[in-house]
Amino acid sequence: MRFLGHLLAAIATALVVGFGLSWYALSSASIFGTIEIGPWAAWRDAGSPTPDPYTRAFVSRTGALQLGASEGLQFVATRDSDGQLLDRACRYRIDGTTPLATFWTLVPTDLDGSPIARPGGPAAFHSARIARAQDGSMQLYVSRTLSPYNWLEITGEGSFALALTLYDTASFTGVGPTEATLPSIIREGCP
Amino acid sequence: MIRTALWLLAGVVLGGAIHLVVILSLPSLAANAAWARVGGLDALNRAVVLAPALPGEPNPLRLDPELAYAVCRLDLRQGPGMVRGVLPLAYWSVAVYNRAGTVLYSTTNRDGIGQNLELGIFNQDQTRLLAQQQLDVAPGLLIVESREDDVFVAVRLAPAHQVMRKRYEAALGRIVCRNNPA
Repeated sequence: MRFLGHLLAAIATALVVGFGLSWYALSSASIFGTIEIGPWAAWRDAGSPTPDPYTRAFVSRTGALQLGASEGLQFVATRDSDGQLLDRACRYRIDGTTPLATFWTLVPTDLDGSPIARPGGPAAFHSARIARAQDGSMQLYVSRTLSPYNWLEITGEGSFALALTLYDTASFTGVGPTEATLPSIIREGCP
Repeated sequence: MIRTALWLLAGVVLGGAIHLVVILSLPSLAANAAWARVGGLDALNRAVVLAPALPGEPNPLRLDPELAYAVCRLDLRQGPGMVRGVLPLAYWSVAVYNRAGTVLYSTTNRDGIGQNLELGIFNQDQTRLLAQQQLDVAPGLLIVESREDDVFVAVRLAPAHQVMRKRYEAALGRIVCRNNPA
């Protein structure tokens, strides 16, 4: 009986460790093969012809059409710069500069990747269509309620993600700068 | 107590092995890989323009709503794959994927290929014939070697404004994607 108890405990431990670690490695993007800058994370080799096993598993699991290494790189944030989950009830300011790229887009999505902007309006920010300060920095607002400057209206309830895609960027590719800053995501308030 | 700890340690070691098996086998087991999604489209030997990612609608391929996309699937057993088209003066890029969704090759029109997309995809046997000059290819053709026979191609096109999307999608729809006899 004692043997059976030990066996069941070992099997339970193995299942929790095995599947839990796999889920964590592929969901949190924070163990292997990722670039983390503030709240943003990207799978560095998602567009590589020879990705590491974790990146390969991530690519298969998401089923997304990954950007090739020369096409660009996508960063995703599910938390703000203070580490709190992004909540559609709150207003967020995305503040700062982006690495050099031909252009970039910033798309608020649900956690499955569907855009959550107001239907009929723009679904994303585009680097060519935003107002900037004289030093090139920007202030973008994402919220359900009216906000100043560059504002994207979102809908729905619950948590969400921000996908920042840098197209045709030399940053992080091995031929360009390896250090870069990404904008902060600042929670300005929740009603 | 020590015996219980040893059993739990064995569980942790076994868990590590399960973890490695899951990570290594996922690419061949994932039912929702991009290949399966593209396979659901009628995209064999023809370019299919993907519906834009709209708010509130599923976006399984995680498309960027600002871009227009076309995909096509090729079976290299039938001969080298050719992808040809003339695209608008805007940013565009092309990527070749294998069944696992891994990008085998990608490039953008900033790499000196202007408006003309001329891409040839060859498996290893065809690449060998190419090296022996037993295959004729057009000058300027971008040559991609694939270790696998099942590939798909995605072309991304970035309209400067959404009002241009229809025209850009029409250009994507005119892309020729087919096998050339080997």
